[in-house]
Amino acid sequence: MAVRGVDPNEERKSYGTVFFVGSILLVVVSLWAIFDDNITRRVWKIHQTEFIRTDYERAEAALAKEQERLNADPKYAELVKQRAAEVESLESGEKGARLAELRELQQRVEVEYFDADQEVKFVKSELDEAWYEFDHAVQLGEDAGPYRRHIQELDAQQRALEPALEAARKKRADVKAEIREVQSGIKKIDDQIYELEGDKRKWQRQMDNATVTVGPEGFPQFTLYKVPNIHQVVLKDFDRNNFDQHVDRVDRCQSCHIGINRAGFDDLPQPLTTHPKRLVFLSDTAHPPRVFGCTACHDGQGEAVNSTAQAHGNVKFWEHPLHEGHDVEASCVTCHINVQGLEGAEVVARGQQIFEQVGCTGCHLVEGYADIPKVGPSLRKVQAKLDPAWMVKWIENPREFRPFTRMPHFYFKEDEALAAAAYLWSVSEKEADAWLKENPAPGGYRPGDAALVEKGRELARSVGCLGCHGFAEDEFTTRVGGKDLVPNLKDIAAKANPRWTYHWLLDPKGYNPATRMPSLRLSEDEALALTTYLMTLGEKPEPDAAVVARLEDPANVAKGEKLVRKYGCAGCHDIPGMENESRIGVELTTFGSKPLEELFFGNDTSIKHTWKDWTYNKILSPRVYATERVEQLMPHFDFAKEDIEAVRVLLRGFIERKVPESFKADHAERAQQILAGRRKVQEYNCIGCHEIDGMGGYVRKYYEQNPTLAPPPLNGEGEKVQANWLFGFLQNPENPIRPWLKVRMPTFGFDGPHADTFVNYFAGLSEVDIPYVHVDEGQVPAGYLEAGQMLFSDDYFECGSCHVRGDKTPDGPVEDWAPDLNLARQRLNPDWIEKWILDPQKLQPGTKMPSFYPGGPEDILSGDEKKQIEALTDYIMTLGLQPATAAKAEAVPAAGSSKQPAVEEQNRQG
Amino acid sequence: MDRRFSLLVALVFAMTAALAFGAVQTAMAAGGTISGAVAFKGDAPKPKKLKITKDKKACDKRPKFDSSLVVKDGKLANVVVYIAEVKGGKALEKKAVTLDQNGCEYQPHVLAVAAGADVTILNPDKVLHNIHTYSKINKPMNRAQPKFKKKLKVKFDKPEIMEVKCDVHGWMGGWIFVAGNPYYSVTGEDGAFSLTDVPAGKYQVQIWHEKLGTQTREVEVKDGETAKLDVEFAG
Repeated sequence: MAVRGVDPNEERKSYGTVFFVGSILLVVVSLWAIFDDNITRRVWKIHQTEFIRTDYERAEAALAKEQERLNADPKYAELVKQRAAEVESLESGEKGARLAELRELQQRVEVEYFDADQEVKFVKSELDEAWYEFDHAVQLGEDAGPYRRHIQELDAQQRALEPALEAARKKRADVKAEIREVQSGIKKIDDQIYELEGDKRKWQRQMDNATVTVGPEGFPQFTLYKVPNIHQVVLKDFDRNNFDQHVDRVDRCQSCHIGINRAGFDDLPQPLTTHPKRLVFLSDTAHPPRVFGCTACHDGQGEAVNSTAQAHGNVKFWEHPLHEGHDVEASCVTCHINVQGLEGAEVVARGQQIFEQVGCTGCHLVEGYADIPKVGPSLRKVQAKLDPAWMVKWIENPREFRPFTRMPHFYFKEDEALAAAAYLWSVSEKEADAWLKENPAPGGYRPGDAALVEKGRELARSVGCLGCHGFAEDEFTTRVGGKDLVPNLKDIAAKANPRWTYHWLLDPKGYNPATRMPSLRLSEDEALALTTYLMTLGEKPEPDAAVVARLEDPANVAKGEKLVRKYGCAGCHDIPGMENESRIGVELTTFGSKPLEELFFGNDTSIKHTWKDWTYNKILSPRVYATERVEQLMPHFDFAKEDIEAVRVLLRGFIERKVPESFKADHAERAQQILAGRRKVQEYNCIGCHEIDGMGGYVRKYYEQNPTLAPPPLNGEGEKVQANWLFGFLQNPENPIRPWLKVRMPTFGFDGPHADTFVNYFAGLSEVDIPYVHVDEGQVPAGYLEAGQMLFSDDYFECGSCHVRGDKTPDGPVEDWAPDLNLARQRLNPDWIEKWILDPQKLQPGTKMPSFYPGGPEDILSGDEKKQIEALTDYIMTLGLQPATAAKAEAVPAAGSSKQPAVEEQNRQG
Repeated sequence: MDRRFSLLVALVFAMTAALAFGAVQTAMAAGGTISGAVAFKGDAPKPKKLKITKDKKACDKRPKFDSSLVVKDGKLANVVVYIAEVKGGKALEKKAVTLDQNGCEYQPHVLAVAAGADVTILNPDKVLHNIHTYSKINKPMNRAQPKFKKKLKVKFDKPEIMEVKCDVHGWMGGWIFVAGNPYYSVTGEDGAFSLTDVPAGKYQVQIWHEKLGTQTREVEVKDGETAKLDVEFAG
């Protein structure tokens, strides 16, 4: 009878199958979990294992090869043979017998020494005791006599024992030395073998590093490949959290990229390969990966190791995916304020050059770039300068007149261009009139006068205009981003009027105090000739009364004001009444980290939705995202593809990241000074004429026939000249060093702070401090001035054959002259003069100054060339002390034998 | 027995000698000559007299003329005729040569020298000279030669034609031809040149003049024969 609820068969039922299946499943799932956890999600293990094996195998192969090389090396083979012979001899030969004998002897002498030493030690202990007794007796006032005698006895005993100890010690040392002597042969051979086996040990070390040895020492051990593990770098305080607190960054990239800083794995595929520019980027003085990790430059998701996509940050919502290609250069600007001249940062440096010099900063604010001056000319008195009809056409399409101008295209229609011109025309009237009153039309101006035109042309090509301006289609010096930084004047007559041109040439700052255009210190005649010449370039327009009437129409002026304000003309130009306008563009300080969601693509569907594509296309075609509702104002710059890329990479680097100082490049005062100076050098286009820090010197192309007539290169100028001289010269270069040159160092009208910027810049580039150079003739070693004077004289080096000395000029044509050495005392650094005399070609390849050394005369300062150079330098530094002295010094070589008195005289005056 | 042995020795000796002689014969026969003259077509301008502007005592002893185009009886001097690429052939003899600056003038005006050979530069003028080579392949050199240094020894290691100038005396100009193989010749006043022992084959012969440029001629050389090559430059 069955009881309800109880099934007696239940107990007998077997669940074996269920349990069996269940446990099978459990096992399978566990195995799968282990597999998944260790294999499928641990790709880095596979990579690392592969690398470790390759590393080991290569080292093994290299070791074998090295061994082969060693075996083939007769020197090595000889050493091995010698060693074997030596070992043989030490073990069983004559030396072996001697060694065994010595060892036995050594044991004996050690015992002898020990005994002797022990005896002395015992006596010493007894002495200690005796002294104690003696002191004790003295303190208690007892009779210390017996103790004193005891001490004396013991002293005598010790003295008696000492010679025996000394003899035993010597014997012991002798035996030791002899053993060393017997073994010295093998030691010497071993040392030589050790030296030859340097590479072999290197490979052995590499093999050891790729393996681990398991098992306790003294038992059979196993050597296994290293087990892969996570290679992690922690960048202390590198990031900030949402509360702007420092947080560490974890970077595990080298778990896969394990060979990144190992030489010789360039042939391996990613991720195992060596960094393609390892020595530039990963050296200890640059960004050692053990400190910087990889993401500091490359970005990506440093912590992630489970898949390439995750590790590289190519996943949703990760804001800093891996930089691809040259985009990685964007990271340079996070830590380096001056990327120009930085090796491996060529793209971003180009972007920075364009960004700084083409006018981007006129509309866009970026931290660190805020102080860059306006790039366009002042329009305060523009009415006095321009042809009105030209102005309208220019605003409408600047590149039609000058294809390489920096002025962008604003997509203005004719009426808009006219309105803008009307406003600018009208606001400049007051200041223009005042200026015109002061600057009347030049008398004697005869348009097209052949003689004047020719003279003007000659001037334009010789005094230095060519350093910046071109006068024909393809003439230019400095071009950045495909833009001429200084206008090409081939059609200048169509633009500017002769009256303005004349006064502008004479005194550019009189028209615009802030202009970059320097004064070439032209005489009125020269300015007139140049004006006449310039007015033959391009077609002089007929006065167009209709245009003037439209420009003066108040409706147009009012419309123009709105346009000028809206399009931010004041960002680049100085416009009366708009001095305090703010920049009209968006601030770009953190543009590089702008999320995609904040970028407006308008109605365009052809452009890929990435930051990269948005930015590229924005620069390429600035109005591409405009819609009927959303207006866009950015003008078109017409950059080449590479230039857009370069600017885009720079913009990518403008990110919101406050990297701790410890990761940043050295931005001490010197780096700041170099940056400030470099910007000024570019602003004033110094590099149009001078080569500085390896860049520029573009004007030299016009002097190929006679390079010495070109402006001098200024590489290493900081080391060459005295700071106080340079400071003065920059402010007032009217007394040139090479007065015979036709090309003139213009007067830029630099004030003290400006000149200081340049002085610091040159000092920074040459890595020198700015010392006050004081030359004290009293400190010059005896005989040096006489020796220097002799070397300088026509009997030896004939320095005066080319070098000017004050009023005394060399014979022959001026192009063969060399700088005035009377200026050396004020101008040059004596240390530099020594380097220069030693090897001029090294400091300035191609210079006309020949090397006199090696090859100095034997009969001066005993032929010691170093002393001769010092003496010559010391003498040169005394030239130009006083005219009287110089004259006497001059008279000396001619007088020949009467050298002595004049030199003494000079010493006294010094 | 003895006699037979000595006969054998004599025979072997004679055979060796004959073989050796034959070898010498073939070696001498291997190679031909390229010779001819360089002519100048048209009226040559009269050489300009050089203006001596400094160190007149030393430099203006005799009148000097511009040597950049020297033509006599329609023949062109100072032309370098050379083969740039030759395989095999005789060894380049590193013969020492001299460049004299006597009277502030380079003598010879075009100096030919084997690469690696010593060039002795003389300064008998009692004034400062400097030797400035405008070389692109060899390391440019600008050495002073003050009056106390009457001799200066230099070497040029790589084949090149380079201009040499004195910066102290602007009018001084000359050329140095550094030869990479022994097949070169500089024409004298008669315009004649001759390249000897050229291994048989076809060659591109270069004919270089400082002002008139370089001409290239293909010449075929046969063993033991002389290939005629007459070149003409137009003014």
